Amino acid sequence: FGGVTGLYFPQKEYSETVYIGQPAGSPILQVHAMLDSNSERPHFYLCGRRQLYSSWFHMDIPTGVLYLNKTLEETDLSSLQQNPWPPKKLSLQVIALNGFTKRSQCVTERSAHITLDFVNGTMPQCAQTDMKELCFPYRDTSNPHITENRFPGALRQMRRLTRINVCTNYTISYTVESDTPGPFAVNENTTELVVTAPLDREESECYRLLMVCTVRTDTRITKVETSLDVFVDDEDDNAPYVNGTDTADVVISFNRTKGGTFGTLFVFDRDLTTIFPRDRSHNRYVETLLSNDAWIKETFDIKGNFNERRVAHRGIRESVHDYQLVLKRNLYVTENRSVYLDYLVNDTTYPGLEGTVLLHFNVTILPVHINFANITHTFTLSRKASVYAKVGRICVENCLLFDGFGVTYQLEVPDKNISADLMSCYAAISITQAEEGTWGLLYVNDSEALSKPECQELQYLVVAQEGHTQLEATTQIHIVLDGEALKASQESQQFLSCAENRQRGECESALGLGATAGRCQWRQGTGKDSICDAVESKDRSICPQDCTREAVIGGHERGLTGFGIKACHGTCYCFADKCFCEKADIEEVICDEMCKTIIATAL
Amino acid sequence: ERISVQSRGCLLKEVHLNVTDLGLGYQTKEELIFRYCSGPCVEAETNYDKILNNLTHNKKLDKDTPSRTCCRPIAFDDDLSFLDDNVMYHTLKKHSARKCGCV
Repeated sequence: FGGVTGLYFPQKEYSETVYIGQPAGSPILQVHAMLDSNSERPHFYLCGRRQLYSSWFHMDIPTGVLYLNKTLEETDLSSLQQNPWPPKKLSLQVIALNGFTKRSQCVTERSAHITLDFVNGTMPQCAQTDMKELCFPYRDTSNPHITENRFPGALRQMRRLTRINVCTNYTISYTVESDTPGPFAVNENTTELVVTAPLDREESECYRLLMVCTVRTDTRITKVETSLDVFVDDEDDNAPYVNGTDTADVVISFNRTKGGTFGTLFVFDRDLTTIFPRDRSHNRYVETLLSNDAWIKETFDIKGNFNERRVAHRGIRESVHDYQLVLKRNLYVTENRSVYLDYLVNDTTYPGLEGTVLLHFNVTILPVHINFANITHTFTLSRKASVYAKVGRICVENCLLFDGFGVTYQLEVPDKNISADLMSCYAAISITQAEEGTWGLLYVNDSEALSKPECQELQYLVVAQEGHTQLEATTQIHIVLDGEALKASQESQQFLSCAENRQRGECESALGLGATAGRCQWRQGTGKDSICDAVESKDRSICPQDCTREAVIGGHERGLTGFGIKACHGTCYCFADKCFCEKADIEEVICDEMCKTIIATAL
Repeated sequence: ERISVQSRGCLLKEVHLNVTDLGLGYQTKEELIFRYCSGPCVEAETNYDKILNNLTHNKKLDKDTPSRTCCRPIAFDDDLSFLDDNVMYHTLKKHSARKCGCV
């Protein structure tokens, strides 16, 4: 059934109720198929699984009216081996073909489903039937769908065929009104709802019809109304177009990472893009990178994506495709060239000639220079600082923008011909790489060297080296040692983890790892960033609050990365990296009975 | 390997609480059954405990007071997950006893 589809059902589901005592030969309902051309003649067949009850029904091939073959009896109801509770559901499938057939095979795509509720009782008499029930089915299961640009025709039988003989002296007629003027009418002779002209989805996606049923008796006229939504299905009848520019100017410099995206070009299509079912080729796009250059092919890719938007003024949906340039590999910092990419977007299912759009990416790749800013880097450091105390950060120019390549930093002693004593001063500071491969973090490596009087101002060379190309840059840094050293008695103490202290007093008097002034700091309020940086991760005891991966005891909230603690109920303290959150209910007995009384009376 | 003796005195008890009663700072309307261990452990005592008792009584241990046997959980309940008032999930582990013993 490829290509232009022929007959189709505007309605996939039909339902009706049947009763005991309904006579053979009485009509139940009518199905309709929409045509593609005036020459088509639909032929309707029951198809699918042959059930025991299939022989009770008969489908009229030219009209699509379903008739009863036999008078329904109580025994028919009890013969249905189904769920024990009423109503029993009878299910039939019907197919529409453009010609006669001997064996009707059901194609699920192109068949409609009929559900009949078999009720244990007889058809209600005219007196027990209200007007609404005479006019319309009690539940309308399905909204009709009409494909755009197709041939007009009948799409639904308005009469309830089962009720035609219930109230014989009533005259029932139907009319249609609609919110938006649409080509819909009711054929008075057949009481069928008819679409009188081809529809255009790009004009209107849905027609909200008001079906009016007029019941005339000898004494009065009654009008019953119900609303009916008729949806218009889309087909690919619009070519893609570019709104504005078809060229993207892309400059690649600091972000050179594999998978990085650059520039965006939009292609619009007034048709919808079917995403389900997958194998439907409605509005199917095929894109081609028009380049034979091997370098371009191994370096660049285009990533396409599509979305749906509503056009503002009328709310009609349309497709928006966007295309972005993607790097297939990390670019070296030395690469320096300009290329021009053509990208052909082809709407393969558009039947006209102009179903393509040509996009251009004008790409300039600039090299990245690795160098330090021309300033003096001076850091001041307390002589009391303990091991792992952070001294400062250093990085080459624009390092925060780097992506796709990394820089490693090393410390070197500028003058190699110095005494061993002075040389030992230089052990004071080390450098480590921040995780992103951008920064170098300076930290205290040997706190004893800081306290030596012969170690005054330390000068280092920082050497930055890019990973792939080995490009280097150097700069000089000065570290000024400030203040008094710790007393020898304190120095002999071991630096412990600051995190073990539970109280402010003992915390601020303790010497701890990573403390810039030797003493730990008491922090009130929320936790730190709960990000474990390169220095902190060297030893879990430096900052377990940021770095712990163990289970935390007490009420807490984990950091975003899954380790570290974002929030603690009470005071957070840790041994090694096992952390506790504790609310100190009774910190110390600050208040005796006497003062409690005073506070109580004051309140 | 902790040696524990099941004693008649040391028993698993339970109490119905709101999660807020646990005092862990969570704001939620959820509730739980909290099980805990309680009761005397006299029957589980050994010569060791007797000796310790005598030594502390006679002040031979220089103000040191080593702990005697006590009634503690020897297994914990399953984890408890709950949603707080800010629609965040929290999971409590080892928060409630399953089995008790004198240890």
